[in-house]
Amino acid sequence: MLAEQIINGIVLGSMYALVALGYTLVFGVLDKLNFAHGETFMLGGFVAIAASALGAPLWVAFPCALLICGALGLLVELLSFRKFRSADAQVTAALSSLALGLVLIDLVQKTYGSEPVSLELPLEVRTATIAVGGIEIAQIKLAILGIALLLMGGLQVLVTHTRVGRNIRAVAESPLAAALLGIHVRLVMQQTFVIASALAGIAGVMLAMRTGYAASDIGFTFGIKALAIMAIGGMGDLRGAMLGGILVGIVEALAVQFGLGKLGEIVVWILMIIVLLVRPGGLFSTGTEQRA
Amino acid sequence: MIQDHLFFAGINILLAWSVYIILLSGSLSFANGAFMAMGAYAAGVLTVKFGLPLIPALALAAAGTGITGAALAAPALRTRGVYLIMVTTGITFCVQVLLENLDYVGGVGGLGGMSGATLWHVYGLVALVGLGLWFLSRSHLQRMLDAIREDEQVASALGMNALYLKIVCFGAGAALAALAGGLFAHYMAFIRPEHFGVLVSVYVVLYAVFGGVNNLWGPMLGAVALTLLPELIRGLASWRPLVFGTVIVVLLLVRPDGLLPWRTLTLRARRP
Repeated sequence: MLAEQIINGIVLGSMYALVALGYTLVFGVLDKLNFAHGETFMLGGFVAIAASALGAPLWVAFPCALLICGALGLLVELLSFRKFRSADAQVTAALSSLALGLVLIDLVQKTYGSEPVSLELPLEVRTATIAVGGIEIAQIKLAILGIALLLMGGLQVLVTHTRVGRNIRAVAESPLAAALLGIHVRLVMQQTFVIASALAGIAGVMLAMRTGYAASDIGFTFGIKALAIMAIGGMGDLRGAMLGGILVGIVEALAVQFGLGKLGEIVVWILMIIVLLVRPGGLFSTGTEQRA
Repeated sequence: MIQDHLFFAGINILLAWSVYIILLSGSLSFANGAFMAMGAYAAGVLTVKFGLPLIPALALAAAGTGITGAALAAPALRTRGVYLIMVTTGITFCVQVLLENLDYVGGVGGLGGMSGATLWHVYGLVALVGLGLWFLSRSHLQRMLDAIREDEQVASALGMNALYLKIVCFGAGAALAALAGGLFAHYMAFIRPEHFGVLVSVYVVLYAVFGGVNNLWGPMLGAVALTLLPELIRGLASWRPLVFGTVIVVLLLVRPDGLLPWRTLTLRARRP
């Protein structure tokens, strides 16, 4: 039972991590918070609903969410970040993206209503289990965990071993120096937004598959918790976001196991406040690594 | 019906000003929904469970919340900019969940039985606070706050106690939000923790930013416009979040400093 809860926590945490990675990528490159990110994540779930309503097979939702949420990332960058580049405009950009998020929520609620919409999954997908070391684990959980780990690994390789990733790291270090060295800074920022938003979209699809429904308010419940996780892991720190997501997932699952109920919800916030006050570099920072 | 709208417009003016007071010293607070909740619950408990009259209950609730706000600000103001936004957002979440789990004030079910707040109370307070802010805007203190907001290090180097002033502003803003919350509770007669979620904090900040935060009329205009406009134009009410969000996004693009961006001059500045 305990082992099962821990596995649930890791699966939940891997989705937290994917969303937190998006926050941290944008923060690392632009030094700004993208409050529309939680809503991008929410939209991913509704892309899955729309795809299944059109009768498409299950896997189609993933490329669709990748494209639609990636395009949304471009739009967010254009409307809420392009004009607010200076360090003073940090708060303006945060508020502008927040307002954009409110618009997205309302558009989704106008289309699907404010109640959660259930996602029809084939029965064998939902109930199939596999025995690992004496514990029955639903295959869908393993699939989600597998995809999440694959994406995280892919992102790590992208950032550390490709030209795109090198440009991203250069702009994160100093946009001015990067521009002087001939890097197209605006393009790099757009790429960052597309990568971050696509990750969030896929996480949204997976959450809808895991819980069986998509809700328009998860940006403000699940999504904003990922924001706290980003702060716990260190703002702009990719490894911190991954570890922090999985850590918080496990802590929450254990809080449910030990009957703390809703009080478990504020553990992540209290942890965030403490980390920001006493260890602003993040829980896992050594003070030497560079930000991505 | 029209009375309801006027009442909420007044409450929102007070809340927008509570954000404005904190912003005077350069900090942006997303915790004002939490302070509103504290004021609403404290005043509600004092009148319903201890039988105090409305005005003393409000005063006590405001004082208590102001002190709590200042006490929270002392460590929280070690952070700046987006970090402070996140810390204050965290405070809002913590207060909401704590209220939901506090059985003494009804938990998720809510607290009921408050009454007695009228339009007179709200607009009397609006006039009082407005007058106070107007005097402040022509005073020496405002110049000090402006200096701290523009460049804290320079202000400190000139001998101003920046952290102290920022904490005082935070406490004053929290107290004003608590007054607004107390009046809200005694008008609604029934409050639940979900009335004071993070969205309330967000909306209140957006009221202030919409009108402009460089003078005291901006937040007032923003609060009134964004509360009443959707009600006045029939058919717009159900599109409120959409219109609200779009207007903010467009406004920030064309007028990043809000609708009324100018600063008020002091008497001294006008002298030749």
